[in-house]
Amino acid sequence: MKVSYNWLKSYFDTEIPTAKELEVIFTDHLFEVEDLVKVDNDEVFEGKVLPDRAHYLLCHKGVAREIGVLRDIPMKEITFPDVIAGDDNAKFKVNIQDTDLCRRYIAVEMENITVGDSPKWITDRLDVIGQKSINCLVDLANFVMLDIGQPMHVFDADKIQGDITVGPADDGEKIVLLTGEEVELNSDNLTINDSNGPLAIAGVKGGKRAEVTKETKRIVIESANFYPASIRRTSTRLNLRNDSSKRFENEITPELAMEAMTEIIALISEISPDAKITAVTDVYPNPVSKWTVDVSKDKIEKMLGITLENGQIENIMKKMDCEVSVSNDVITVTPPFNRLDIKIPEDIADEVGRIIGYENIPSILTPELESKTLINKTFFYSEKIKNVLVEQGFSETLLYSLVNKGFYEISYPMASDKSALRENLLKKMSESLVLNGRNADLLAIETVKIFEIGQVFTSNGEETHLAIGVQLTKKKKGLKSEDILKEAILELEKELDIQLPKDISASEHGAIWEINLDEFISKMPSAGDISTLGFKRLPLDKKFEKFSPYPFVTRDIAIFVPSNIERDDVQKIIVDNAGELCIKNYLFDVFEKDGKTSYAYRLIFQSFEKTLTDDEVNVHMENINKKITGKGWEVR
Amino acid sequence: MEKNTQEGHLHIITQAVRDISAIFDKMGFSVQAGPELETEFYNFDALGTPEDHPARDMQDTFWIKTKPGEEKKVLRTHTSSVQVRFLESMKDNPKPFKIIVPGKVFRNEATDVTHEAQFFQVESLYMNKNVSMTELKGTLEKFFLEFIGPDAKIRFRPSFFSFVEPGVEVDVWWKDRWLEIFGAGLVHPDVFKSVGIDPKEWKGFAFGGGIDRLIMLRYGIDDIRHLYTGDLRLINQF
Repeated sequence: MKVSYNWLKSYFDTEIPTAKELEVIFTDHLFEVEDLVKVDNDEVFEGKVLPDRAHYLLCHKGVAREIGVLRDIPMKEITFPDVIAGDDNAKFKVNIQDTDLCRRYIAVEMENITVGDSPKWITDRLDVIGQKSINCLVDLANFVMLDIGQPMHVFDADKIQGDITVGPADDGEKIVLLTGEEVELNSDNLTINDSNGPLAIAGVKGGKRAEVTKETKRIVIESANFYPASIRRTSTRLNLRNDSSKRFENEITPELAMEAMTEIIALISEISPDAKITAVTDVYPNPVSKWTVDVSKDKIEKMLGITLENGQIENIMKKMDCEVSVSNDVITVTPPFNRLDIKIPEDIADEVGRIIGYENIPSILTPELESKTLINKTFFYSEKIKNVLVEQGFSETLLYSLVNKGFYEISYPMASDKSALRENLLKKMSESLVLNGRNADLLAIETVKIFEIGQVFTSNGEETHLAIGVQLTKKKKGLKSEDILKEAILELEKELDIQLPKDISASEHGAIWEINLDEFISKMPSAGDISTLGFKRLPLDKKFEKFSPYPFVTRDIAIFVPSNIERDDVQKIIVDNAGELCIKNYLFDVFEKDGKTSYAYRLIFQSFEKTLTDDEVNVHMENINKKITGKGWEVR
Repeated sequence: MEKNTQEGHLHIITQAVRDISAIFDKMGFSVQAGPELETEFYNFDALGTPEDHPARDMQDTFWIKTKPGEEKKVLRTHTSSVQVRFLESMKDNPKPFKIIVPGKVFRNEATDVTHEAQFFQVESLYMNKNVSMTELKGTLEKFFLEFIGPDAKIRFRPSFFSFVEPGVEVDVWWKDRWLEIFGAGLVHPDVFKSVGIDPKEWKGFAFGGGIDRLIMLRYGIDDIRHLYTGDLRLINQF
C-alpha cells in the first residue's frame, strides 16, 4: 500500500519523525517498507501490509495510529458531525437478501449536488499515491477509503429505478462496469440491484448505469460491509481485484461504515454547501459486539522469553485503543472494533513483542531433550546411496519434477512442458545424458555418469525412485555403458547388503537404470545416526564459473618430444599460445616410443559472445604448431 | 587430467542440505521428510490458510487436477506441511521434539534467473511445554554463525505467516546487506488443534525458508535454472 508522509503528518499537531526515520521504525516494528520515494513535495512509502494487519492498516489513519503508539505522540482528535439515521423520506428502500453476505448497508440520499472538480488539497493527496482524479464525488469516496479504510460507492439517484436490493446475481446476468467492460455474473457474485437489475458488483466495482457525472444532481452514497470470502471469490473470478475488493476480502469491521459516512458527508458539505441529506437508511441487522482477550503477564513473558515490567502490557494495549482491566493476575483486553487481528493471547504477545522490538530480546538455546527423534529412514538411506555412487564417480542431478505428460496433471499449467508430474526419473535423465554428452570434452570426461534420488508420481501415488544413467562419449573396445552401470549396481548391492533388479534400458544415448527405492528402504534396518554419513561442510570460498551459452570447439594436438623434455615445458607452450578463447586444455594421452615421448593435449575453445568459426580457432592452433616446430619438436 | 578415476559430485543443493542438517543435528534436531504431492488440508487448511483466505495469495500454487469429490491436491508450496504431518503422528503420545525438514517445494510463477517453479526449503519445528521467542532467536543465531561464519548477525522483523503467532521475518546480515531469509514464529495454537494436540499444554516454534538463494549468493550462481537441468557444467564445479 502507498502511504503519503504528508497525509500521515495531518493527523498530528506535533512533529513526527522524518520519513527516513519512519522507514526504519516501520520496518522494525510494523511492516516491511519496500520503497520510499519523493513525489512532488511529499514522500511516499510502499508498505507491505500482510493479511493479519490488513483489517486496520490499509489506510492512513491506521498507519498514523501506529506512529502515535510507537513514538508516544498524541494524535489529533478528528471528528465529524453525526449522521442521524432517518429513512422516513427515503426514496429507495434497502433490502438485504442474505445478511451473512452483506452485514451492513448504509445508504444516504442527498440532493442539490454540484459535481465539479475536487479541491486541490484532495487531488494533491490522491495524486502523490497514484490515484487519478475523476470528479469530486468519486475522489471523496476514494479519499475516505484511503483515509480510514472503508470502500464506498456513489450512485446517481436519478438513474436508480425502484428499491435497492443486495443479493446474488442471476446466473448469466450481465453488467456493464464503469470502465465500459461488460462482465457476466453468476449466483456466487453479490450485487447491488434496482428493479432493472445490477447497479454494481458489491464491494468490487460500480456499474455504468448509475454512474455519477457532471450532470448528477441527486446521489445515493453507499457505505457497506460484505463477507470477505464472497468478495474474494468474485473479484478473483472476474479478475477485478482492486483497492475496494482488497479491503473487503481482508475483512473490515461493519462499525467502520458509519464512521466513513460521517466523514464523506462532512467533506461533501464543505465542497458543495447547498447539498442536503434527504434520507439515511442504515440496515444493520446484527450489530457486532466487542470481544475480550484474557492474558497474564506470566504467559506473555513465557512466550517472548523476557521479563516485563508491571503494567507494561496494559500500557502497550491501551495505546492501541484497547480497553484494559486487571483482576488478580488476569489482564482483560477489549480491542477496538477494527483490531480484528487481536483475538487470542498469542496476538497480544505479537503486539508486545513488536512494540518492545525484537532487537531487545536476548538469545538463548533450546534445552537438550531426553530423547532424540530418529531421523527419517528414506533420508538416511538416500544419503547413504549417494555416498556410494559419488565414490563410484557419479554426479548427482536434481531434475525437474514437472514434465509435459504424466498421471497427475496440473490444473492450470503455465507452460506445456510443465503440465504434469514426472512418473519416472528416466525421461529427464536421458535429456541430461544428451546435454552432458555434448559437453563431455568441455567437462573433460569420457563417460557421463549421473544419478538422482527423487520423488515421482505414478498411478500408485508418490514414490521415491533412484535412477542411474551412463553414457560413453568415446567408443571403447569391448566396453558398453551398460557394463559401467552394472558395476555401479553391484557396488550398491555390496555396500547396502541388498539384492537389486538389473533391468537396464539402453539406447543410443546410453543406459539408464531406475528402481522404486521405497520397497528396498522399507526392508532396511532403522536409520542410524547422521554422523555416520560423513557429511562435509560446504566449501566456503568457491566462486561459480559461469559458462557460455555458445558451442565450444575441440582441437587435439599430439607432440613428440625428446625424453629429456619435461611435460610442463610442453604445456607452457600450449598455454602461452592458445589465446584467451582457449578456456581449457588437458593431457589425455602419453606414450613413449624410440626414446621420444608423445603428449596428446585436448584444447577447448569457447567465447561468451558468439559461436567461434574454424578460422578463429585455427589461428591459435597454427601459432602453437609454429612454436613447437620452432623448438625442433614434432607435431604428429 | 585423470582418465579412469572420474570424480563424482553431490549436487550443491544436497551439499547445502547436508551442511544444514549436520549443524542442526548438533543442536538436537532430527531430519524428517514428507510428501511433495500434498493435500489441501496439510498444505493450507491446517496451517491457518483456508479456502478464500487472502493469505493464499502469498503463495502461487500448482493445483492438481482431481476428480469431483476427491480431496484437492497441490504440489506443496512449502515444507511447512510436514510440520502438520509430524505433529499429527505425535498426537497420541506427545513428547518434546526438535525436527528439521529439508525438501523440494513448488511455486506456480513465471521463471527467471531468480525464480524457479521448484526450489528447496528447510523447515524446523520444536515442541515442548514452554517455548519462547528468545529460544527461536538463539537457535537461528547459532545456526547462521555456523553456516555463514562468525560475522553473521540476524534480526527479527514483525511479519505474518498464518501458522505462527507471533510471526517474524528473519533477516541475515551477509555481504553488507540485510537479506530476508526465513519466516519464523511461535506455532499458532490452531495448528496444534487441527491435529488434536492441546495447545494449552504444548508450545512450539517453527521457521523455514529457501536454500537456493543462500547457495546462489554464496557462490555467485547467476541463474537458478542452472540448478535443475542436470548440467554437469554446474554440478561438477562443486
